[in-house]
Amino acid sequence: MMSKASFLERRQTPKESSSVTIFITALAIILALLFGSLLFLPFGVDPFKAYSTMVEMSFGTLRGIGYTLIKATPLIFVGLGTIFAWRSGFFYLGFEGTILIGAAAAVWIALLTDPEGAIGPLPRLLFLLLVFLVSFVAGGIWAGIVGVMRGKFGGNEVILSLMMNFVALFLVNYLVSGPLRAPGDLPQTPRIPQATILDFIIPGTRAHSGILLALFAAIVVWFVLRKTTIGYKQIVAGLSPSAAWYGGINVGNRVILAAFIGGGLGALAGMVEVLGVHFRLLDGLGEGTGFIGIVAALLGKLHSIGVVIASILYAGMEVGADVMQRRSGVPSSVIFVIQSLIVLFILASDILRYYRINLSKLFGNDRGKKTLEVDSST
Amino acid sequence: MVPYIELRNINKRFSDVNANDHVDLSVNMGEIHALLGENGAGKSTLMNILYGLDYKDEGEIFVQGQFSDIRTPSDAIALGIGMIHQDFMLIPPFTVTENVVVGLDEEGSSPLLDLDKAARSIKALSEQHGLEVDPHARVEHLSVGEEQRVEILKLLFRNAKLLILDEPTAVLTPKEAEGLFEVLRSLADNDHTIIFITHKLHEVMNISDRVTVMRDGKAIDTLKTKSTNPRELAMKMVGREVVFHIDKNLGKSGECVLQIENLHVDDDTGYHKVQGVSLDVHSGEILGLAGVDGNGQSELAQALMNLRPIKEGNIIVNDVDVTNISSSLHRSAGMAYVPADRRKVGSVSELSVALNTILGNINHYATAGNLIIQDLQVREHAEELVERFDVRPRNLTLDAGKLSGGNLQKVVLGREIMHEPSLLIVEQPSRGLDVGATEYVRRQLLTERDRGTAIFLISAELEEILALSDRIAIIYEGEIMGVINSDEAVVEAIGLMMGGTRLEDLPGYR
Repeated sequence: MMSKASFLERRQTPKESSSVTIFITALAIILALLFGSLLFLPFGVDPFKAYSTMVEMSFGTLRGIGYTLIKATPLIFVGLGTIFAWRSGFFYLGFEGTILIGAAAAVWIALLTDPEGAIGPLPRLLFLLLVFLVSFVAGGIWAGIVGVMRGKFGGNEVILSLMMNFVALFLVNYLVSGPLRAPGDLPQTPRIPQATILDFIIPGTRAHSGILLALFAAIVVWFVLRKTTIGYKQIVAGLSPSAAWYGGINVGNRVILAAFIGGGLGALAGMVEVLGVHFRLLDGLGEGTGFIGIVAALLGKLHSIGVVIASILYAGMEVGADVMQRRSGVPSSVIFVIQSLIVLFILASDILRYYRINLSKLFGNDRGKKTLEVDSST
Repeated sequence: MVPYIELRNINKRFSDVNANDHVDLSVNMGEIHALLGENGAGKSTLMNILYGLDYKDEGEIFVQGQFSDIRTPSDAIALGIGMIHQDFMLIPPFTVTENVVVGLDEEGSSPLLDLDKAARSIKALSEQHGLEVDPHARVEHLSVGEEQRVEILKLLFRNAKLLILDEPTAVLTPKEAEGLFEVLRSLADNDHTIIFITHKLHEVMNISDRVTVMRDGKAIDTLKTKSTNPRELAMKMVGREVVFHIDKNLGKSGECVLQIENLHVDDDTGYHKVQGVSLDVHSGEILGLAGVDGNGQSELAQALMNLRPIKEGNIIVNDVDVTNISSSLHRSAGMAYVPADRRKVGSVSELSVALNTILGNINHYATAGNLIIQDLQVREHAEELVERFDVRPRNLTLDAGKLSGGNLQKVVLGREIMHEPSLLIVEQPSRGLDVGATEYVRRQLLTERDRGTAIFLISAELEEILALSDRIAIIYEGEIMGVINSDEAVVEAIGLMMGGTRLEDLPGYR
């Protein structure tokens, strides 16, 4: 019984300070990079040079930073949606679907404001407000369906939301090959009017104003969860349904609100993608963002600031991976493996908050007696 | 004579708590040895170490003089040591026999189960020790007392010579407890050795041969029961003189605050748990509801706060019918509720103490249309609460789950009292609390009563009901067996009513 993982010793009190968390997280990233460097060897590439190029490409140049912010924006929205839903005890996994729904809604509104569209051109501010609202509400209702299933009838949100992703996928598939299809060979909608495209915010890059909205949303989510009675009720319902019930909080309604807000935030990820990057609705829009955003939320410990940081780092790695593939022929899948290693190592590193490593045991010198002394002195 | 079990110098730490601080314990063969101490004194930890559930940091265990390194329960069982926990570990849809043989793996026996043979030996065992139970009955149909007998049979069937019982009477009626003691006596006379963990002094005096008192992880003393008395034991247990009887003058009861009329309530599974309860509670009095746990008390309390649908009947508070108003409005109607489970229901463990002090009443601390929480106001309220109710540590940002049971109860009770309710419903207020915290909580309840609050006290501890109540109602299977004034209360009569006899059917009832 004692022999199992005996080089790990339980700490008397778990380490909880933020400096320890940062140290352990940094350690996990370094270890993951070291392990990952093995993957470069078959390509004859110096892994450390590759890493430094990667960082330079994603954070070292204005252009790189622009790309990184573009990639980070939808991740932040999904991450925020995850925070709101999960903290309320609603373990929603359907962000891939809400991204598509939000994107479809945004494109639809944008196309309506085409000079030949049903609405016609709108003042810029009015358009932005309208597209924001419609996109948010569409995603909110989409996720809200699952919320009602769970909140009113006790359904399982994990399975339901995963299945709803497929429905959204085929719905978009249908839209781009049917009702909204542009003339031509590709299954995609017409390009949205120039007037509906988000502003570029850094000259010389394609970074768009969506990142500002994302950062603003991060502040709002933080404020609502921390400072308002709504947030209090959501968090109590999420932490302890029985205490919520005792405190007069209707857990079912809280779940539905969590679904609506979470889904709405997820839809904004789709909105900024179409208004800032693709300018049209097309197949394969989500590309896993709906899941990576959840990972970013978890890495950020379900805190708004953590999510922003994790999303930007993650986006940076993706940008770096793209560049590396083009430059040195190392497949970007290598980077994706390393990304996954980083996630695994960070999640696993939590154990160091509860256990310490006994180095003398790890390396096997002087077994037995010395061990006992170490044990009893703790 | 070599002691049957000897624990030497046992030390066990959990994070920053020294749960067992170099404890010595020796238990002789054939004796009933009580392990007495407050909650958190380290009794259960010590026994878990003996049974192999926890592993000691230091120290040695000797069984019949042999050094024994017990690391798992199977090690303990092989040495003839068995333990019964507070929560029984039985499989409800299985029969008694199936439960007894489950997990048993006799070497050299045939791979086929011979349940009839097992049933016969169970029958023989149960007759020998007065453990009446039908080997073919399904466990889900048994009463708590019978389930406990099945647990004992399980151990005897495995040839356990030492039986450890962790607070065995907590779930029993006084009569069932009496039966258990007879069984234990019979086992001890047949060379079984029994260690039983308790914090109830009268049980120690009643049943044990010797008693070891534990406090703060240390074994304070081991005494012969015959040569000690409850007062001495209590002093050793707490480390100071204990007030046994809070000086209580009867309350001055005023007008009727709570009136329950013919209330019917179901539990979550649709079982008819409260069957036509009618009661009234007046201002300035404590009405105690006595009864064995699970006879509808919790459902009744929850229905009063409208946390559970009411099938039939009315609830009137201060002349207002509150039967169907939402639970958040109950608080504004002057009602407050301290639930039985303070950790899972009465508080949110992962939330700070400060935020727990506003649970159920957040709108009171918010502005902008009840939207934005006023942090300053919350902090002032929380500070006042921890100061007034002496919550330790005085750390408002600490997670509530990290408070000890007594301090958490102060937070929950304080939160409810600070709104100056006219009706306070309290469920199991001192369950699991140590003597000091129990005394504190009870004094607070009496103070509240004297302030004029109507208090509806629900408790499975008869001693608590007797100590605090002005009138006592007894509930059995969702029905009120009778209501008596506490100055006329006779323990035996209440015990009979807790077992289902109506007041008017009691022998000698005028």
